[in-house]
Amino acid sequence: MQIAILLILAIVGAFTVGGSLFRDNDLPQVGGRAPDFALVGLDGKTHRLSDYRGKLVMVNFWGTFCPPCKEEMPAIEKQYQKWRDAGFEVLAVNLAESKVTVDSFVKQLNLTFPILLDDRMEIRKTYGVVNYPTTFLIDQSGKIALKKEGQMDESFIEQNLIKWLGKM
Amino acid sequence: MNFASLSAQALLAAFVLYCAAFLLSVLAITGKRWSNRDPGEHARRFGWIAFIVSAVGFACHVVYFFARWRAAGHIPTSNMYEFLTFLAMMIILAYIIVFLIYRLPVLGVFALPVGFIVIAYASVFPHDVQPLIPSLQSNWLKIHVTTAAAGEAFFAVGFASGLMYLLRTADYRDSSKPAGAERTALELTLFVIVLLIAFIGSTLGFNAAGYKAQFVKEVTVTDKAGQEQTITQIEQYVLPPIAAPYGSRLESMTPFLGMKEPLFVTPSWMNGVNAGRKLNTIIWTVLTGLILYGVLRLIARRPLGAVVQPLLKGMDPEDLDEIGYRSIAIGYPIYTLGALVFAMIWANEAWGRFWGWDPKEVWALITWLFYAAFLHLRLSRGWQGKRSAWLAVSGFIVVMFTLVGVNLLIAGLHSYAGV
Amino acid sequence: MIENTKCECGHQNAVGTVLCESCGKPLSEELLRGTGPLEMRYDGVARRSMRANPTPIDRVWNFFSSVKVAVYLIIVTLLAASLGTIFQQENMFINRDPAFLLSYYKENYGWFGELYYRLGLSRTFESWWFRGLLFMIGTSLVVCSLDRVLPLYRALKNQQIRKHPTFILRQKVSYAATLPLDAHPSEPSGPADQEEAARRWVERMSAILKKQRYRVHTDGTALLAEKNRFSRWGPYINHIGLIIFLLAALARSVPGWHMDEYYGFLEGQTQKIPNTPYYLKNEKFTVDFYKPEELPEGMRNQGALVPKMYETQAVLYRCAADCDDPSKQPVLEEVARHNILVNHPLKYKGLLAYQYDWQETPQLISVRATLKNRQTGEAYGSFVLDMKQPQDSYVAGPYQLKLRGYYPEFAFENGAPVTKSNDPKAPAFIFTITGPDLPPEGEPYIYFPREIDREQFGQDAINGALGRKLELAVGSMDDVQVALYTSWLNIRVDKPLPYIWVGAAITVIGLAMGFYWQHRRIWLRIDGDRLLFGAHTNKNWYGLRREAAYALNRAGIAVDAKTLETGGKRS
Repeated sequence: MQIAILLILAIVGAFTVGGSLFRDNDLPQVGGRAPDFALVGLDGKTHRLSDYRGKLVMVNFWGTFCPPCKEEMPAIEKQYQKWRDAGFEVLAVNLAESKVTVDSFVKQLNLTFPILLDDRMEIRKTYGVVNYPTTFLIDQSGKIALKKEGQMDESFIEQNLIKWLGKM
Repeated sequence: MNFASLSAQALLAAFVLYCAAFLLSVLAITGKRWSNRDPGEHARRFGWIAFIVSAVGFACHVVYFFARWRAAGHIPTSNMYEFLTFLAMMIILAYIIVFLIYRLPVLGVFALPVGFIVIAYASVFPHDVQPLIPSLQSNWLKIHVTTAAAGEAFFAVGFASGLMYLLRTADYRDSSKPAGAERTALELTLFVIVLLIAFIGSTLGFNAAGYKAQFVKEVTVTDKAGQEQTITQIEQYVLPPIAAPYGSRLESMTPFLGMKEPLFVTPSWMNGVNAGRKLNTIIWTVLTGLILYGVLRLIARRPLGAVVQPLLKGMDPEDLDEIGYRSIAIGYPIYTLGALVFAMIWANEAWGRFWGWDPKEVWALITWLFYAAFLHLRLSRGWQGKRSAWLAVSGFIVVMFTLVGVNLLIAGLHSYAGV
Repeated sequence: MIENTKCECGHQNAVGTVLCESCGKPLSEELLRGTGPLEMRYDGVARRSMRANPTPIDRVWNFFSSVKVAVYLIIVTLLAASLGTIFQQENMFINRDPAFLLSYYKENYGWFGELYYRLGLSRTFESWWFRGLLFMIGTSLVVCSLDRVLPLYRALKNQQIRKHPTFILRQKVSYAATLPLDAHPSEPSGPADQEEAARRWVERMSAILKKQRYRVHTDGTALLAEKNRFSRWGPYINHIGLIIFLLAALARSVPGWHMDEYYGFLEGQTQKIPNTPYYLKNEKFTVDFYKPEELPEGMRNQGALVPKMYETQAVLYRCAADCDDPSKQPVLEEVARHNILVNHPLKYKGLLAYQYDWQETPQLISVRATLKNRQTGEAYGSFVLDMKQPQDSYVAGPYQLKLRGYYPEFAFENGAPVTKSNDPKAPAFIFTITGPDLPPEGEPYIYFPREIDREQFGQDAINGALGRKLELAVGSMDDVQVALYTSWLNIRVDKPLPYIWVGAAITVIGLAMGFYWQHRRIWLRIDGDRLLFGAHTNKNWYGLRREAAYALNRAGIAVDAKTLETGGKRS
């Protein structure tokens, strides 16, 4: 009887202590899994993050009201053109702006990568985005390789792309 | 019928009666050898007179409570002043109950002062009736605060008994090191009580004399509409400023003993709310406490503990030990119910979570754990008697920290006691 | 394995037994020769943890069944908890990004604060080691109780009435005397008569004790009186309550059983509650302040705005279909409606929405704009223009307005229109209008719903000729929908909560049982004309002595409570 009780206690203990040691501390961190999501794009199609598994995905949270977001877009576009055949994908998640606003901006800059509309601001919350722009680089196995808050310049993007694409 | 003034008068009456009952209790013990009375009879008679007087005082205290309730429109336990006066009332009630069980006049000598000192301490805080903010408008407020105070009141009586035990069993003739260490610890405890009295005395004294000093500071505040505003924050000192608040400008101060300016500025790393005023109060408390203690020692020519000890000569230490234990044993379930269970129910209703590790909640838990340790340690023989008495004394310090210290020193959801 | 210790009365006792389970005689020679009061813990019965040759399992068990260890655990927990109150804990923050937290503790509390953060003390109550402490206390509760309650139950169940003389006399409360047992003084008394008299004496005592609410068992010239045995179970019951409480608290870690989040709801908005199928709409928010007359003087002068009451009129919806499809709007059905006040949450199937806080966030929601002929005033048609998600095109009579650009917070930057944020603080709409008397590719028209923006940016100047012909205007304030407040609600789910209360209630009941009643027992036996009287209680000796003295006095023996306290010195 003693053994049985101690065994039950041991299991409860593991649950107690393990629960706080291994808790997926709510917000996604570098090295952790990137939460999947599904959003409608400007193209009217639904895009899922998991659709792009196997590719290096850059998830960029941005808005037209955010000057650094706008400034880094051309750099992202250039890098996208350069590396997309090597397995690089960009999903630009717009923060709940009206379609019109986003559309005119995209047309202005001639952006070719998918623009997703997070009109309910849910994905922003899931990823714990507080400042814009925030960029996540998600590797081919679905884990977060990099989180960058703030504007990126082209060399920064390129260096990381080379680094992570090379790890295929 | 002006209930507000009735309540103030009733409380004053209670206070005076408690002091009188205290003196009568002392008389019951010391007057034993006067004239040709039979000492046992004398003690018993005066013990009963003292008890009756304290019971009448308690009745006045109850009048204060209900009159103030009527005047305020809500149960008077919502700020520091109200809560402490209520606690004092509970302490006297606990004393009455324990006295009725054990019939020992000497209990009044120690328990009554705890009661009226708490009233005196309460009067340091703002008295005015304040409206209740939304989070305090609940029935559970009444239930939680009153029950918790009742439990703590019994711990207070346990504290008094523990102190009595220590004073009774301290050996002022033994010159060995452990005995010396014990006497010092005991004297230190009495010194802390002197400090408290000094604090109350100086604050009330300067308040009564109308002393004021004022400091101003420009502070930028963001209000509810998201607007930033620069407002002038005024910090009022009731005691002469020895330590000025950091970053403030002296606007006016009544000179004191030739001091026209603060002596120094509170260091910037003390950055709690009203840190300057609190530091100043602490400095004053220590100063006046040392002076008061010094005077008492000069008059007594021996440690204060040795002065009080003769009062306890006729007591059987085991009885004192038992009273202490019994008080805490009676108070513990009440405290558990009031300070933890009802608090959890109210917190769940008001804040949506029954436990949030808020400093006040944590300290209530610490108090609870402390007394749990006390009760468990009493199961082993070696922990009864002196060690138990020390634990009872320390436990009450933890209680007072939970009630007062957390509000003053630590911020949190709970600190709406008005000071 | 288990040695037997056979007592002189014939009973077999387990190893570790201190007093014979049957007659109470001290079993060890040492104890027998001693003079102090007998240790009556668990009536001297062996506890499970007292076996010889403990196995590793036994060692673990013994560790947790020790009261000393339990006290240490309590003290360590108490100290650790106090450390967690020195500085604000991390769970006060919504943003728990490590970089932010480190700088916060460093800036506000200096090097001590940084140390506090690095040691993990800012997360004391969520840390693995603190939870581990609580778990160990829980384990101790389980093991201590099991270790003791079974032997205690056994000991108390089959108590022998006639105890060994040493047992009786070495109780903490005891008395011995020679009784005047002459029932009939005029008659010669032989041993049989003496025994008869003794029996009657015991009967009388039995009646006296029964009046004092004892349960009395007699065995001729011996008596056992017992009262309030249930009080002994008090500690075990309160331990069970605590165990249930801890388990319920632990159960909140089970995914889906617990949620505690804060969300802001703008008036008029319906918003999804993440990780649930629910949506909440803030229909209206109202706040009432205390009038200056209602405040005490001190607060009045400060100009403080003290809220008297604030409430959110909320509606809760459940998503019935199309919930996860981002391309479709979820189909919602209303499930609950409540005015949420502080302390009065919205409750629905375990989900609770509490009023937490509020902010003044005046925001334009939508306007109903009418297209008019500027010169004649003729109205062509009207439509609702939403500030968050305006449509691609609108129709007003014969005119069609295609939305080309929308700028929620309009500004000019380097001559080009931009928006400074995503909040409609200064909304501007750029349409291309087509219709009668207008070129087929349409003409541009910029519209600012707010008068102040219209003037600031010179709407008429920009619109030029078209602006003189057509005008887009809002009729009255009825056409304008504004949200004034954002209400912050605390959304909670707490499935194990009822068990928290169950555990708490059981704890308090157990505490009351254990502390407000005491288990008292009185043994007496008369051998010849010698009375041996002993009594025991688990608490409140004072009361027991008084009761025993009272009973003896009523039976004709003059004693006072103090003399009964022999401390076992008699033998």
